[in-house]
Amino acid sequence: MRMFKDLLGLEGLSPDEIRHILQTAKPMKEVLLRPVKKLPTLRGKAVYTLFYEASTRTKTSFEMAAKVLGADAVNIGVSQSSVNKGESLLDTAKTLQAMQTDLIIIRHAASGAAGFLARHLEAGVINAGDGQHEHPTQALLDLFTMQEKLGDLRGKKVIIVGDVLHSRVARSNVWGLTKLGAEVVLAGPPTLLPPELSVLGVKLSYDLDRELPGADVVMALRLQLERQQAGLFPSLREYSRSYGLDRARLRATGKETLILHPGPMNRGVEIASDLADGPQGMVEEQVTNGVAVRMAVIYLLMGGTTNVVA
Amino acid sequence: MWWLKNIYAVDPSGSCGKRDILIREGKIEANAERLSPEEVAERAGGEPVESLNGEGKYLFPGFIDAHTHLREPGQEAKEDIASGAAAAVKGGFTSIIAMANTEPPVDSRGLVEFVRTQGARAGLARVYPLGTVTKGMRGRELVEMLDLKEGGAVGFSDDGHNLQNSEVMRLALEYAKLTGLPIVSHSEDENLACGGAMHRGKAAARLGLKGIPSSAESIMVARDLMLAAETGGKIHLAHISCRESVRLIREAKERGLDVSAEVNPHHLLFTDRDVDLFNTSLKVNPPLRSEEDQEALLTGLLDGTLDMLATDHAPHVWEEKARPFAEAPFGIIGLETALAAVWQRLVVPGKLSPKRLAEVWSLAPARRFGLPGGTLRPGSPADLVLFDPEWRERITSDSLASKAQNTPFLGQELQGFPTLVWVGGEPVLRGRQLCPAGDGVRHR
Ligand SMILES: [Zn+2]
Repeated sequence: MRMFKDLLGLEGLSPDEIRHILQTAKPMKEVLLRPVKKLPTLRGKAVYTLFYEASTRTKTSFEMAAKVLGADAVNIGVSQSSVNKGESLLDTAKTLQAMQTDLIIIRHAASGAAGFLARHLEAGVINAGDGQHEHPTQALLDLFTMQEKLGDLRGKKVIIVGDVLHSRVARSNVWGLTKLGAEVVLAGPPTLLPPELSVLGVKLSYDLDRELPGADVVMALRLQLERQQAGLFPSLREYSRSYGLDRARLRATGKETLILHPGPMNRGVEIASDLADGPQGMVEEQVTNGVAVRMAVIYLLMGGTTNVVA
Repeated sequence: MWWLKNIYAVDPSGSCGKRDILIREGKIEANAERLSPEEVAERAGGEPVESLNGEGKYLFPGFIDAHTHLREPGQEAKEDIASGAAAAVKGGFTSIIAMANTEPPVDSRGLVEFVRTQGARAGLARVYPLGTVTKGMRGRELVEMLDLKEGGAVGFSDDGHNLQNSEVMRLALEYAKLTGLPIVSHSEDENLACGGAMHRGKAAARLGLKGIPSSAESIMVARDLMLAAETGGKIHLAHISCRESVRLIREAKERGLDVSAEVNPHHLLFTDRDVDLFNTSLKVNPPLRSEEDQEALLTGLLDGTLDMLATDHAPHVWEEKARPFAEAPFGIIGLETALAAVWQRLVVPGKLSPKRLAEVWSLAPARRFGLPGGTLRPGSPADLVLFDPEWRERITSDSLASKAQNTPFLGQELQGFPTLVWVGGEPVLRGRQLCPAGDGVRHR
């Protein structure tokens, strides 16, 4: 199995590579469920997190994944001052190169930032979200969660609803899901679902209710509240009426549909609490699976080949 | 005196064919089908004659680039007038028009004269300044257009920014009538373009980059044309990039408006499908658009809707471009590569004739901006380009005379270059090497 130096996105991965990561995440999850969550696998190694956008949840997940594998997780504080002083990503890359780092986990507001870093570094790079481009580990944990509950995803109907235009989570999920054979529908208001998104090769729909019948999974995207101020939709209330998920609306699927959300949730806007916290809600599963999937990615990128949990 | 024998001369103001051409005292002395040694000796009047066999070569009137950013004063790390003028003659341009968005912007007569002086000191291509339209390029008060014209400005532009205030644009078009010079418009609705990094379309959607819709340009083109119609003003539309703009300009010309327009070579040679997240040398404003837009641009250039080619040579420091795509500045350098690239990809395949090439890159800018050049008629200034269609060159950071290297052709080999360039009858490029003037200043 060919393994890359970096994980930058799912668009460039083959279905087999995606399956391999998901397969590797299974034993990782078993480790997580043990009372003593610690492996000696990567003892003495360090992974570095470099978060230009605040995200406690994703960063903590990566840090925990590294620690369970026995590696040290070092946070490179990106002080706003050094950014403001004009220290460029290229300068940062040079510094990291000089530090002989093994693996960098980066989140950045610019699409392509992770790939940029990977091009300038010998170290491996994991994209923890780059602009509106990709967020591969989020999609992998979503795929893992769906597979765990539904088995093979071929032919399964997955609806991703919300601010698709600005969502790296949606893009990565579309690539991953279609590679694994799922049927994907993207739903949202026209201002957040412009026609050029047809390039992703899946169905676009403004009418969520019409798409719901038969859906195996509905994933609500987090709605950035600034989008309303930018005029992309008139009010949270109107958004919620057409695209907010609640139990009554979800009856239309005719199934025990899984509800996913990448978090943090705007309860009562894109998702109602009764649904998020109910039996169909996968949000907590997603958090656990996130650590497992990130363990798998870190393990594979750091050259892990042996049976880790033997 | 120079005697160019049996060379394929492309005269956009006349005809094309094999010619014998004499250059003497800074001017084209003769342009005839064949000259005898006796005739030549008589014309030389005792002066030594340097003769040159032009077999297999083309002779063009010097190319004129109506849109360059030379960055001086203020941003000399990117480029200066001397390095820009050197890049120009290496690429076959004997005259270049310098945009006014420097630091400070060229909004006074003193600065116009400074740009001209620096051009003369460089002694390579002729450098013609544009003045800004508004003081400080702030989009409010008009510059002293008459004074700037007396200082040598050949037009007015706040290029780099669009004049968002339509009333200011209207006033500029009215007032500039006193000068007879065109207002050069960078047509861009800043609200529609806001924050975008590339053309709004499928490629941007796939890459997760914010798009700049075609309407960001065409809406302002429509506005500018309406104001030109209302005022009877003289307008030149810079870097037209999309189909809708071409249609609007075509209609405006049918109605007889005093409008001209340019297209940049990169918009004819690349589309948004060539853009990836890492090649920031393809990040340019207006952005590389769709294939349909590209087709409309070429059609427009061939049918005369678009009058001229212009590079929009926009140098940047390497580190500024070595950033994630969304954070890199807009701009492509073109002076040293544009002619070769257009030759290779448009002229050689027969999409653009050598004569049309000379019309749109020499005659049209000369006429529109009132510059000498654009012709091979005897008596005209000998700004000439000997072009070798076989000459191949690899574009590298070392080979470029420009201080910048933000070109999509970096590392590639191009074919078809000027091997001898005269400005005012003096060689400024010979065998691909620059020939600076002896005393540092060329007095023309
Ligand atoms: Zn411009």
